[in-house]
Amino acid sequence: MLVLEARNLQKSYIDKGRSLQAVRDVSLSIPAGEVLAFLGPNGAGKTTTIKMIAGLIQPDAGWVRIVNHDPHTQADALRQVGAVLEGNRNVYWRLTPIENLEYFGALRGLKPRIARQRGEELLGRFNLRHKRNTVVQALSRGMQQKLAIAVALIHQPQLLLLDEPTLGLDVEATEEVKHLIRAIVQDGCAILLTTHQLAIAEELSDRIAIINQGELMVTADTDKLIRQFSGSAYRIDLEGAIDPLRQQKLATLDISVQNGRTLSDITPDLLYRVLEILQPLPLLRVEKDQATLTDVFLKLIREGIDA
Amino acid sequence: MLKLFWAELKRDLTLQRRYMTEVIAAIAGIVIAFYGIFLTTRYVAGPGLEFGDRLDTLVVGYVLWSLATFIISDIAGGLQQEALTGTLEQLFLSPFRASTVFLVRALARLTIHLSENLIILLIIATLTRARLSFPPLLILPLISVLLGAYGLALAVGATALLLKRVQQLLGFLPFGLFFLLLVPTESWSGLFRPLGWLLPMAPGAGLLRDLIARGQALDGALLAIALLNGLGYFGLGVLLFRQAERVAKRRGKLAGY
Repeated sequence: MLVLEARNLQKSYIDKGRSLQAVRDVSLSIPAGEVLAFLGPNGAGKTTTIKMIAGLIQPDAGWVRIVNHDPHTQADALRQVGAVLEGNRNVYWRLTPIENLEYFGALRGLKPRIARQRGEELLGRFNLRHKRNTVVQALSRGMQQKLAIAVALIHQPQLLLLDEPTLGLDVEATEEVKHLIRAIVQDGCAILLTTHQLAIAEELSDRIAIINQGELMVTADTDKLIRQFSGSAYRIDLEGAIDPLRQQKLATLDISVQNGRTLSDITPDLLYRVLEILQPLPLLRVEKDQATLTDVFLKLIREGIDA
Repeated sequence: MLKLFWAELKRDLTLQRRYMTEVIAAIAGIVIAFYGIFLTTRYVAGPGLEFGDRLDTLVVGYVLWSLATFIISDIAGGLQQEALTGTLEQLFLSPFRASTVFLVRALARLTIHLSENLIILLIIATLTRARLSFPPLLILPLISVLLGAYGLALAVGATALLLKRVQQLLGFLPFGLFFLLLVPTESWSGLFRPLGWLLPMAPGAGLLRDLIARGQALDGALLAIALLNGLGYFGLGVLLFRQAERVAKRRGKLAGY
Protein backbone atom coordinates (compact mmCIF):
# COMPACT_ATOMS: atom_id res chain seq x y z
CA MET A 1 0.00 0.00 0.00
CA LEU A 2 1.33 3.40 -0.93
CA VAL A 3 1.44 5.69 2.10
CA LEU A 4 2.82 8.66 0.17
CA GLU A 5 2.23 9.52 -3.42
CA ALA A 6 3.42 12.86 -4.79
CA ARG A 7 3.14 13.58 -8.49
CA ASN A 8 4.71 16.27 -10.67
CA LEU A 9 5.31 18.74 -7.85
CA GLN A 10 6.45 22.16 -8.97
CA LYS A 11 7.34 25.26 -7.00
CA SER A 12 8.79 28.61 -8.00
CA TYR A 13 9.66 31.57 -5.85
CA ILE A 14 10.09 35.18 -6.80
CA ASP A 15 13.47 36.40 -5.61
CA LYS A 16 14.44 40.02 -6.27
CA GLY A 17 11.98 40.20 -9.15
CA ARG A 18 13.27 36.98 -10.73
CA SER A 19 11.39 33.70 -10.79
CA LEU A 20 13.44 30.90 -9.25
CA GLN A 21 12.25 27.36 -9.93
CA ALA A 22 12.93 25.48 -6.69
CA VAL A 23 11.22 22.18 -7.58
CA ARG A 24 10.48 20.90 -11.11
CA ASP A 25 8.17 18.01 -11.76
CA VAL A 26 9.17 15.90 -8.77
CA SER A 27 7.31 12.63 -8.19
CA LEU A 28 7.87 10.37 -5.18
CA SER A 29 6.08 7.44 -3.62
CA ILE A 30 6.70 5.38 -0.50
CA PRO A 31 4.91 2.19 0.51
CA ALA A 32 4.39 1.20 4.15
CA GLY A 33 7.48 -0.08 5.96
CA GLU A 34 9.98 1.52 3.59
CA VAL A 35 12.62 4.23 3.98
CA LEU A 36 13.17 6.52 1.01
CA ALA A 37 16.35 8.56 1.34
CA PHE A 38 15.82 11.86 -0.43
CA LEU A 39 19.26 13.25 -1.21
CA GLY A 40 20.64 16.32 -2.86
CA PRO A 41 23.12 19.16 -2.37
CA ASN A 42 22.15 22.28 -0.42
CA GLY A 43 19.46 24.27 -2.21
CA ALA A 44 18.49 21.32 -4.42
CA GLY A 45 14.82 21.52 -3.40
CA LYS A 46 14.64 18.80 -0.73
CA THR A 47 13.11 20.90 2.05
CA THR A 48 10.65 22.61 -0.30
CA THR A 49 9.52 19.19 -1.52
CA ILE A 50 9.16 17.83 2.03
CA LYS A 51 7.15 20.87 3.06
CA MET A 52 4.89 20.55 0.02
CA ILE A 53 4.30 16.93 1.07
CA ALA A 54 3.50 18.04 4.64
CA GLY A 55 1.05 20.68 3.44
CA LEU A 56 3.25 23.53 4.70
CA ILE A 57 4.03 24.92 1.23
CA GLN A 58 1.44 25.13 -1.52
CA PRO A 59 2.76 23.60 -4.78
CA ASP A 60 2.31 25.60 -7.99
CA ALA A 61 1.40 22.37 -9.75
CA GLY A 62 1.18 18.68 -8.97
CA TRP A 63 -0.49 16.87 -6.11
CA VAL A 64 0.21 14.97 -2.90
CA ARG A 65 -1.75 12.10 -1.36
CA ILE A 66 -1.03 10.73 2.09
CA VAL A 67 -2.99 7.51 2.56
CA ASN A 68 -5.23 8.79 -0.24
CA HIS A 69 -5.83 12.18 1.41
CA ASP A 70 -4.64 15.59 0.27
CA PRO A 71 -2.67 17.33 3.06
CA HIS A 72 -3.51 20.73 1.56
CA THR A 73 -7.26 20.32 1.82
CA GLN A 74 -8.06 17.33 4.05
CA ALA A 75 -7.34 17.33 7.78
CA ASP A 76 -7.34 13.52 7.75
CA ALA A 77 -4.08 13.58 5.77
CA LEU A 78 -2.38 15.46 8.62
CA ARG A 79 -3.47 12.77 11.09
CA GLN A 80 -1.18 10.43 9.15
CA VAL A 81 1.93 12.64 9.07
CA GLY A 82 4.62 13.21 11.64
CA ALA A 83 7.55 15.47 10.88
CA VAL A 84 10.88 16.44 12.35
CA LEU A 85 11.99 19.44 10.35
CA GLU A 86 15.58 20.56 9.98
CA GLY A 87 16.73 23.69 11.79
CA ASN A 88 13.67 23.60 14.03
CA ARG A 89 13.44 22.74 17.66
CA ASN A 90 10.14 21.00 16.90
CA VAL A 91 9.31 20.84 20.65
CA TYR A 92 8.79 23.39 23.45
CA TRP A 93 12.00 23.87 25.38
CA ARG A 94 10.26 25.16 28.50
CA LEU A 95 8.18 22.01 28.86
CA THR A 96 9.30 18.55 29.94
CA PRO A 97 9.30 15.57 27.54
CA ILE A 98 6.03 14.16 28.90
CA GLU A 99 4.37 17.60 28.81
CA ASN A 100 5.45 18.01 25.16
CA LEU A 101 4.14 14.56 24.26
CA GLU A 102 0.80 15.21 25.95
CA TYR A 103 0.43 18.65 24.38
CA PHE A 104 1.31 17.57 20.83
CA GLY A 105 -0.91 14.51 21.28
CA ALA A 106 -3.88 16.83 21.89
CA LEU A 107 -2.77 19.04 18.99
CA ARG A 108 -2.91 15.97 16.74
CA GLY A 109 -6.42 15.18 18.01
CA LEU A 110 -5.76 12.52 20.68
CA LYS A 111 -7.71 12.24 23.93
CA PRO A 112 -5.65 13.31 26.97
CA ARG A 113 -5.60 9.77 28.43
CA ILE A 114 -4.41 8.25 25.13
CA ALA A 115 -1.81 11.00 24.65
CA ARG A 116 -0.42 10.37 28.15
CA GLN A 117 -0.39 6.61 27.67
CA ARG A 118 1.36 6.81 24.29
CA GLY A 119 3.71 9.46 25.65
CA GLU A 120 4.80 7.13 28.46
CA GLU A 121 5.26 4.27 25.99
CA LEU A 122 7.38 6.42 23.68
CA LEU A 123 9.51 7.70 26.56
CA GLY A 124 10.27 4.10 27.48
CA ARG A 125 10.94 3.05 23.91
CA PHE A 126 13.19 6.07 23.26
CA ASN A 127 15.04 5.55 26.55
CA LEU A 128 13.93 8.95 27.88
CA ARG A 129 11.86 7.83 30.86
CA HIS A 130 14.50 8.99 33.36
CA LYS A 131 14.23 12.48 31.82
CA ARG A 132 10.43 12.63 31.64
CA ASN A 133 10.27 15.55 34.12
CA THR A 134 13.34 17.51 33.00
CA VAL A 135 12.69 20.64 30.94
CA VAL A 136 13.78 20.10 27.35
CA GLN A 137 16.31 22.93 27.35
CA ALA A 138 18.30 20.98 29.97
CA LEU A 139 18.48 17.83 27.80
CA SER A 140 21.40 16.93 25.53
CA ARG A 141 21.08 17.59 21.78
CA GLY A 142 20.68 13.87 21.17
CA MET A 143 17.88 13.56 23.72
CA GLN A 144 16.12 16.61 22.27
CA GLN A 145 16.25 15.04 18.83
CA LYS A 146 14.96 11.70 20.12
CA LEU A 147 12.13 13.57 21.82
CA ALA A 148 11.32 15.44 18.58
CA ILE A 149 11.00 12.07 16.82
CA ALA A 150 8.88 10.69 19.67
CA VAL A 151 6.59 13.74 19.47
CA ALA A 152 6.26 13.23 15.71
CA LEU A 153 5.10 9.67 16.41
CA ILE A 154 2.65 10.44 19.22
CA HIS A 155 -0.41 10.05 16.96
CA GLN A 156 0.99 6.91 15.29
CA PRO A 157 1.27 8.41 11.80
CA GLN A 158 1.77 6.21 8.78
CA LEU A 159 4.24 8.65 7.24
CA LEU A 160 7.23 10.14 9.05
CA LEU A 161 9.18 12.99 7.46
CA LEU A 162 12.70 13.25 8.85
CA ASP A 163 14.68 16.23 7.60
CA GLU A 164 18.32 15.81 8.72
CA PRO A 165 17.46 13.86 11.89
CA THR A 166 21.10 13.19 12.81
CA LEU A 167 22.48 16.67 12.09
CA GLY A 168 24.75 17.84 14.91
CA LEU A 169 24.47 14.61 16.90
CA ASP A 170 27.48 12.81 18.36
CA VAL A 171 28.33 9.25 17.33
CA GLU A 172 26.40 7.59 20.15
CA ALA A 173 23.26 9.67 19.65
CA THR A 174 23.45 9.09 15.88
CA GLU A 175 23.57 5.34 16.45
CA GLU A 176 20.56 5.57 18.78
CA VAL A 177 18.55 7.57 16.23
CA LYS A 178 19.47 5.07 13.49
CA HIS A 179 18.34 2.22 15.71
CA LEU A 180 15.04 4.01 16.37
CA ILE A 181 14.44 4.66 12.67
CA ARG A 182 14.91 0.95 11.94
CA ALA A 183 12.45 0.07 14.71
CA ILE A 184 9.86 2.61 13.46
CA VAL A 185 10.05 1.17 9.92
CA GLN A 186 9.60 -2.36 11.29
CA ASP A 187 6.32 -1.16 12.76
CA GLY A 188 5.14 -0.41 9.22
CA CYS A 189 5.71 3.36 9.11
CA ALA A 190 6.88 4.85 5.80
CA ILE A 191 9.79 7.26 6.21
CA LEU A 192 11.02 10.02 3.96
CA LEU A 193 14.55 10.77 5.13
CA THR A 194 16.81 13.58 4.03
CA THR A 195 20.39 13.67 5.18
CA HIS A 196 23.79 14.85 4.04
CA GLN A 197 25.33 11.90 5.88
CA LEU A 198 25.30 9.51 2.95
CA ALA A 199 26.60 6.55 4.95
CA ILE A 200 23.48 6.81 7.12
CA ALA A 201 21.24 7.02 4.05
CA GLU A 202 22.98 3.96 2.59
CA GLU A 203 22.56 2.06 5.82
CA LEU A 204 18.91 2.90 6.47
CA SER A 205 17.21 3.32 3.13
CA ASP A 206 15.41 0.85 0.92
CA ARG A 207 15.31 3.31 -1.94
CA ILE A 208 17.12 6.46 -2.92
CA ALA A 209 15.88 9.55 -4.72
CA ILE A 210 18.48 12.14 -5.72
CA ILE A 211 17.43 15.69 -6.54
CA ASN A 212 19.59 18.42 -7.99
CA GLN A 213 18.64 21.94 -9.01
CA GLY A 214 14.99 21.09 -8.36
CA GLU A 215 14.94 18.06 -10.67
CA LEU A 216 14.80 14.44 -9.66
CA MET A 217 17.85 12.75 -11.19
CA VAL A 218 17.27 9.19 -10.11
CA THR A 219 14.94 7.05 -8.01
CA ALA A 220 16.08 3.48 -7.46
CA ASP A 221 16.51 0.68 -4.93
CA THR A 222 19.55 1.51 -2.81
CA ASP A 223 21.24 -1.87 -3.38
CA LYS A 224 20.60 -1.86 -7.12
CA LEU A 225 21.86 1.70 -7.50
CA ILE A 226 25.08 0.93 -5.64
CA ARG A 227 25.57 -2.29 -7.64
CA GLN A 228 24.99 -0.37 -10.83
CA PHE A 229 27.81 2.00 -9.99
CA SER A 230 30.11 -0.70 -8.64
CA GLY A 231 32.78 -2.34 -10.80
CA SER A 232 33.33 -6.07 -11.22
CA ALA A 233 37.07 -6.11 -10.46
CA TYR A 234 38.60 -7.37 -7.21
CA ARG A 235 41.30 -6.03 -4.97
CA ILE A 236 43.54 -8.11 -2.70
CA ASP A 237 45.53 -6.85 0.29
CA LEU A 238 48.19 -9.06 1.83
CA GLU A 239 49.64 -8.87 5.29
CA GLY A 240 53.25 -8.91 4.08
CA ALA A 241 55.22 -8.01 0.96
CA ILE A 242 54.97 -10.19 -2.16
CA ASP A 243 58.28 -11.78 -3.17
CA PRO A 244 59.84 -10.95 -6.63
CA LEU A 245 59.12 -14.45 -8.03
CA ARG A 246 55.37 -14.12 -7.38
CA GLN A 247 55.45 -10.57 -8.71
CA GLN A 248 56.87 -11.87 -11.98
CA LYS A 249 54.13 -14.50 -12.23
CA LEU A 250 51.51 -11.84 -11.59
CA ALA A 251 53.03 -9.63 -14.27
CA THR A 252 52.39 -12.37 -16.82
CA LEU A 253 48.68 -11.96 -15.99
CA ASP A 254 49.09 -8.20 -16.45
CA ILE A 255 48.54 -7.53 -12.75
CA SER A 256 50.81 -5.08 -11.03
CA VAL A 257 51.60 -4.88 -7.34
CA GLN A 258 51.20 -1.62 -5.45
CA ASN A 259 53.11 -0.87 -2.27
CA GLY A 260 54.50 -4.40 -2.39
CA ARG A 261 51.32 -5.88 -0.91
CA THR A 262 48.20 -4.68 -2.79
CA LEU A 263 46.79 -6.03 -6.03
CA SER A 264 43.92 -4.27 -7.78
CA ASP A 265 41.86 -4.43 -10.97
CA ILE A 266 41.72 -8.23 -10.88
CA THR A 267 39.00 -9.38 -13.24
CA PRO A 268 36.71 -12.18 -11.97
CA ASP A 269 38.16 -14.75 -14.41
CA LEU A 270 41.67 -14.16 -13.04
CA LEU A 271 40.79 -14.11 -9.35
CA TYR A 272 41.42 -17.79 -8.54
CA ARG A 273 44.61 -17.93 -10.66
CA VAL A 274 45.91 -14.95 -8.72
CA LEU A 275 44.98 -16.61 -5.44
CA GLU A 276 46.85 -19.77 -6.53
CA ILE A 277 49.98 -17.68 -7.18
CA LEU A 278 49.67 -15.99 -3.80
CA GLN A 279 49.14 -19.22 -1.87
CA PRO A 280 50.13 -19.60 1.03
CA LEU A 281 50.84 -15.90 1.76
CA PRO A 282 48.57 -14.54 4.54
CA LEU A 283 45.75 -12.38 3.12
CA LEU A 284 44.40 -9.29 4.81
CA ARG A 285 41.27 -8.90 2.65
CA VAL A 286 39.76 -9.76 -0.72
CA GLU A 287 37.07 -7.34 -1.80
CA LYS A 288 35.03 -6.51 -4.85
CA ASP A 289 35.21 -3.00 -6.20
CA GLN A 290 32.10 -1.71 -4.36
CA ALA A 291 30.87 1.84 -4.87
CA THR A 292 29.56 3.70 -1.86
CA LEU A 293 26.51 5.90 -1.92
CA THR A 294 28.91 8.85 -1.72
CA ASP A 295 30.55 7.71 -5.01
CA VAL A 296 27.14 7.32 -6.65
CA PHE A 297 25.88 10.65 -5.34
CA LEU A 298 28.95 12.62 -6.42
CA LYS A 299 29.01 10.99 -9.85
CA LEU A 300 25.35 11.75 -10.48
CA ILE A 301 25.55 15.29 -9.17
CA ARG A 302 28.69 16.06 -11.20
CA GLU A 303 27.20 14.52 -14.33
CA GLY A 304 24.09 16.58 -13.73
CA ILE A 305 26.13 19.76 -13.41
CA ASP A 306 28.20 18.93 -16.53
CA ALA A 307 25.06 18.14 -18.50
CA MET B 1 -11.81 21.17 20.21
CA LEU B 2 -12.43 20.93 23.95
CA LYS B 3 -9.48 18.50 24.23
CA LEU B 4 -7.29 21.09 22.58
CA PHE B 5 -8.57 23.79 24.92
CA TRP B 6 -7.68 21.72 28.02
CA ALA B 7 -4.28 20.87 26.57
CA GLU B 8 -3.60 24.57 25.93
CA LEU B 9 -4.82 25.52 29.41
CA LYS B 10 -2.66 22.85 31.02
CA ARG B 11 0.37 23.99 29.00
CA ASP B 12 -0.21 27.63 30.01
CA LEU B 13 -0.73 26.87 33.69
CA THR B 14 2.42 24.74 33.71
CA LEU B 15 4.44 27.55 32.13
CA GLN B 16 2.95 30.18 34.47
CA ARG B 17 3.81 28.07 37.51
CA ARG B 18 7.29 27.24 36.24
CA TYR B 19 8.15 30.82 35.27
CA MET B 20 6.22 32.65 38.01
CA THR B 21 8.81 35.44 38.24
CA GLU B 22 8.00 36.50 34.65
CA VAL B 23 4.29 36.73 35.56
CA ILE B 24 5.00 38.76 38.67
CA ALA B 25 7.32 41.06 36.71
CA ALA B 26 4.63 41.67 34.06
CA ILE B 27 1.97 42.50 36.68
CA ALA B 28 4.37 44.69 38.66
CA GLY B 29 5.41 46.54 35.47
CA ILE B 30 1.82 47.43 34.58
CA VAL B 31 0.93 48.49 38.15
CA ILE B 32 4.09 50.58 38.54
CA ALA B 33 3.53 52.28 35.16
CA PHE B 34 -0.02 53.27 36.14
CA TYR B 35 0.98 54.40 39.61
CA GLY B 36 3.76 56.46 38.04
CA ILE B 37 1.26 58.20 35.73
CA PHE B 38 -1.12 58.71 38.68
CA LEU B 39 1.55 60.26 40.95
CA THR B 40 2.94 62.46 38.15
CA THR B 41 -0.53 63.78 37.30
CA ARG B 42 -1.20 64.54 40.97
CA TYR B 43 2.17 66.31 41.30
CA VAL B 44 1.63 68.41 38.14
CA ALA B 45 -1.96 69.31 39.09
CA GLY B 46 -1.05 70.24 42.64
CA PRO B 47 -2.53 69.32 46.05
CA GLY B 48 -6.03 70.64 45.31
CA LEU B 49 -6.63 68.09 42.53
CA GLU B 50 -9.95 66.23 42.59
CA PHE B 51 -10.22 63.36 40.09
CA GLY B 52 -13.93 62.57 40.72
CA ASP B 53 -15.16 59.64 38.57
CA ARG B 54 -12.47 60.43 35.99
CA LEU B 55 -9.95 58.42 38.03
CA ASP B 56 -12.36 55.47 38.18
CA THR B 57 -12.91 55.55 34.42
CA LEU B 58 -9.16 55.83 33.90
CA VAL B 59 -8.58 52.75 36.05
CA VAL B 60 -11.15 50.75 34.06
CA GLY B 61 -9.66 51.91 30.75
CA TYR B 62 -6.13 51.14 31.91
CA VAL B 63 -6.99 47.61 33.05
CA LEU B 64 -8.82 46.97 29.76
CA TRP B 65 -5.76 48.27 27.96
CA SER B 66 -3.49 45.86 29.81
CA LEU B 67 -5.91 42.98 29.04
CA ALA B 68 -6.01 43.83 25.31
CA THR B 69 -2.23 44.26 25.24
CA PHE B 70 -1.78 40.83 26.84
CA ILE B 71 -4.14 39.22 24.32
CA ILE B 72 -2.61 40.84 21.23
CA SER B 73 1.00 40.31 22.21
CA ASP B 74 0.12 36.72 23.10
CA ILE B 75 -1.06 35.83 19.61
CA ALA B 76 1.21 38.05 17.52
CA GLY B 77 4.26 37.89 19.79
CA GLY B 78 3.71 34.18 20.40
CA LEU B 79 3.57 33.52 16.68
CA GLN B 80 6.77 35.47 16.11
CA GLN B 81 8.44 33.62 18.99
CA GLU B 82 7.34 30.24 17.65
CA ALA B 83 8.72 31.11 14.22
CA LEU B 84 12.00 32.03 15.88
CA THR B 85 12.25 28.93 18.06
CA GLY B 86 10.98 26.58 15.36
CA THR B 87 7.73 25.14 16.70
CA LEU B 88 5.43 27.13 14.42
CA GLU B 89 5.34 24.58 11.61
CA GLN B 90 4.38 21.83 14.04
CA LEU B 91 1.24 23.84 14.85
CA PHE B 92 0.39 23.95 11.15
CA LEU B 93 0.74 20.16 10.97
CA SER B 94 -2.25 19.83 13.28
CA PRO B 95 -5.51 18.53 11.79
CA PHE B 96 -7.11 21.58 13.45
CA ARG B 97 -6.86 24.76 11.36
CA ALA B 98 -4.05 27.06 12.44
CA SER B 99 -6.48 29.92 13.13
CA THR B 100 -8.45 27.52 15.36
CA VAL B 101 -5.30 26.49 17.22
CA PHE B 102 -4.32 30.11 17.86
CA LEU B 103 -7.83 31.09 18.93
CA VAL B 104 -8.24 28.12 21.27
CA ARG B 105 -4.81 28.93 22.66
CA ALA B 106 -5.85 32.56 23.19
CA LEU B 107 -9.11 31.50 24.87
CA ALA B 108 -7.22 29.20 27.22
CA ARG B 109 -4.89 32.08 28.00
CA LEU B 110 -7.90 34.30 28.67
CA THR B 111 -8.58 32.58 31.99
CA ILE B 112 -5.02 33.44 33.01
CA HIS B 113 -5.20 36.98 31.60
CA LEU B 114 -8.47 37.65 33.42
CA SER B 115 -6.96 36.45 36.71
CA GLU B 116 -3.85 38.58 36.17
CA ASN B 117 -5.94 41.62 35.29
CA LEU B 118 -8.15 41.13 38.29
CA ILE B 119 -5.02 41.27 40.45
CA ILE B 120 -3.86 44.39 38.57
CA LEU B 121 -7.28 45.99 39.03
CA LEU B 122 -7.37 45.24 42.75
CA ILE B 123 -3.85 46.62 43.34
CA ILE B 124 -4.48 49.78 41.29
CA ALA B 125 -7.90 50.35 42.90
CA THR B 126 -6.34 49.97 46.35
CA LEU B 127 -3.42 52.29 45.56
CA THR B 128 -5.58 55.01 43.99
CA ARG B 129 -8.68 54.45 46.17
CA ALA B 130 -10.82 54.23 43.06
CA ARG B 131 -14.49 53.40 43.72
CA LEU B 132 -15.58 50.65 41.35
CA SER B 133 -18.66 48.46 41.15
CA PHE B 134 -18.87 45.12 39.35
CA PRO B 135 -22.43 44.31 38.24
CA PRO B 136 -22.75 40.86 36.58
CA LEU B 137 -23.99 42.53 33.37
CA LEU B 138 -20.49 43.83 32.74
CA ILE B 139 -19.75 40.46 31.15
CA LEU B 140 -21.64 41.54 28.00
CA PRO B 141 -19.62 44.65 27.08
CA LEU B 142 -16.51 42.78 28.25
CA ILE B 143 -17.25 40.08 25.64
CA SER B 144 -17.51 42.77 22.96
CA VAL B 145 -14.11 44.18 23.99
CA LEU B 146 -12.58 40.70 24.02
CA LEU B 147 -13.97 39.91 20.56
CA GLY B 148 -12.43 43.11 19.24
CA ALA B 149 -9.13 42.35 20.99
CA TYR B 150 -9.01 38.84 19.48
CA GLY B 151 -9.86 40.27 16.05
CA LEU B 152 -7.00 42.76 16.30
CA ALA B 153 -4.73 40.02 17.68
CA LEU B 154 -5.45 37.80 14.68
CA ALA B 155 -4.90 40.73 12.30
CA VAL B 156 -1.52 41.49 13.88
CA GLY B 157 -0.88 37.72 13.96
CA ALA B 158 -1.55 37.64 10.21
CA THR B 159 1.10 40.33 9.75
CA ALA B 160 3.49 38.34 11.96
CA LEU B 161 2.84 35.23 9.88
CA LEU B 162 3.91 37.02 6.71
CA LEU B 163 6.64 39.32 8.00
CA LYS B 164 7.75 37.43 11.14
CA ARG B 165 9.52 40.48 12.51
CA VAL B 166 6.77 42.63 13.99
CA GLN B 167 8.62 44.12 16.97
CA GLN B 168 8.11 47.64 15.59
CA LEU B 169 4.38 47.07 15.24
CA LEU B 170 4.14 45.44 18.66
CA GLY B 171 6.08 48.37 20.11
CA PHE B 172 3.66 50.86 18.61
CA LEU B 173 0.55 48.84 19.41
CA PRO B 174 0.19 49.71 23.12
CA PHE B 175 -0.03 53.41 22.22
CA GLY B 176 -2.81 52.73 19.71
CA LEU B 177 -4.63 50.59 22.26
CA PHE B 178 -4.13 53.31 24.85
CA PHE B 179 -6.09 55.65 22.60
CA LEU B 180 -8.83 53.10 21.85
CA LEU B 181 -9.40 52.03 25.43
CA LEU B 182 -8.67 55.11 27.52
CA VAL B 183 -10.15 57.90 25.43
CA PRO B 184 -13.83 58.33 26.55
CA THR B 185 -15.42 57.98 23.10
CA GLU B 186 -18.79 57.54 24.85
CA SER B 187 -18.69 61.26 25.67
CA TRP B 188 -18.04 62.28 22.04
CA SER B 189 -20.87 64.13 20.36
CA GLY B 190 -22.03 65.08 16.88
CA LEU B 191 -20.27 63.42 13.94
CA PHE B 192 -17.60 62.00 16.22
CA ARG B 193 -20.15 59.86 18.09
CA PRO B 194 -20.66 57.26 15.26
CA LEU B 195 -16.91 57.37 14.59
CA GLY B 196 -16.38 56.20 18.18
CA TRP B 197 -18.74 53.29 17.53
CA LEU B 198 -16.59 52.17 14.58
CA LEU B 199 -13.28 52.14 16.45
CA PRO B 200 -12.24 48.64 17.59
CA MET B 201 -13.21 47.86 21.21
CA ALA B 202 -14.09 51.50 21.93
CA PRO B 203 -17.92 51.09 22.32
CA GLY B 204 -17.48 48.16 24.72
CA ALA B 205 -14.83 50.00 26.71
CA GLY B 206 -17.19 53.01 27.01
CA LEU B 207 -19.99 50.79 28.32
CA LEU B 208 -17.65 49.19 30.85
CA ARG B 209 -16.65 52.65 32.11
CA ASP B 210 -20.35 53.54 32.45
CA LEU B 211 -21.08 50.34 34.36
CA ILE B 212 -18.02 49.99 36.58
CA ALA B 213 -16.87 53.55 37.21
CA ARG B 214 -19.99 55.69 36.76
CA GLY B 215 -22.49 53.19 38.16
CA GLN B 216 -24.87 53.70 35.20
CA ALA B 217 -27.33 51.12 33.86
CA LEU B 218 -26.51 49.11 30.74
CA ASP B 219 -27.83 50.73 27.55
CA GLY B 220 -29.28 47.98 25.28
CA ALA B 221 -28.77 49.88 22.02
CA LEU B 222 -25.17 50.74 22.84
CA LEU B 223 -24.58 47.14 23.87
CA ALA B 224 -25.85 45.96 20.46
CA ILE B 225 -23.45 48.40 18.77
CA ALA B 226 -20.59 47.18 20.97
CA LEU B 227 -21.31 43.52 20.20
CA LEU B 228 -21.62 44.20 16.46
CA ASN B 229 -18.35 46.10 16.63
CA GLY B 230 -16.66 43.17 18.42
CA LEU B 231 -18.05 40.56 16.04
CA GLY B 232 -17.07 42.66 13.03
CA TYR B 233 -13.45 43.05 14.09
CA PHE B 234 -13.29 39.40 15.18
CA GLY B 235 -14.57 38.23 11.79
CA LEU B 236 -12.16 40.54 10.01
CA GLY B 237 -9.27 39.18 12.10
CA VAL B 238 -10.16 35.55 11.29
CA LEU B 239 -10.42 36.39 7.56
CA LEU B 240 -7.08 38.21 7.53
CA PHE B 241 -5.36 35.38 9.41
CA ARG B 242 -6.67 32.71 7.02
CA GLN B 243 -5.65 34.82 4.04
CA ALA B 244 -2.18 35.32 5.53
CA GLU B 245 -1.89 31.55 6.08
CA ARG B 246 -2.71 30.94 2.41
CA VAL B 247 -0.20 33.56 1.25
CA ALA B 248 2.53 32.25 3.60
CA LYS B 249 2.01 28.71 2.29
CA ARG B 250 2.10 29.94 -1.30
CA ARG B 251 5.29 31.91 -0.70
CA GLY B 252 6.84 29.14 1.41
CA LYS B 253 7.30 31.57 4.28
CA LEU B 254 5.53 29.77 7.08
CA ALA B 255 8.69 29.09 9.04
CA GLY B 256 11.14 31.63 7.68
CA TYR B 257 12.41 34.15 10.16
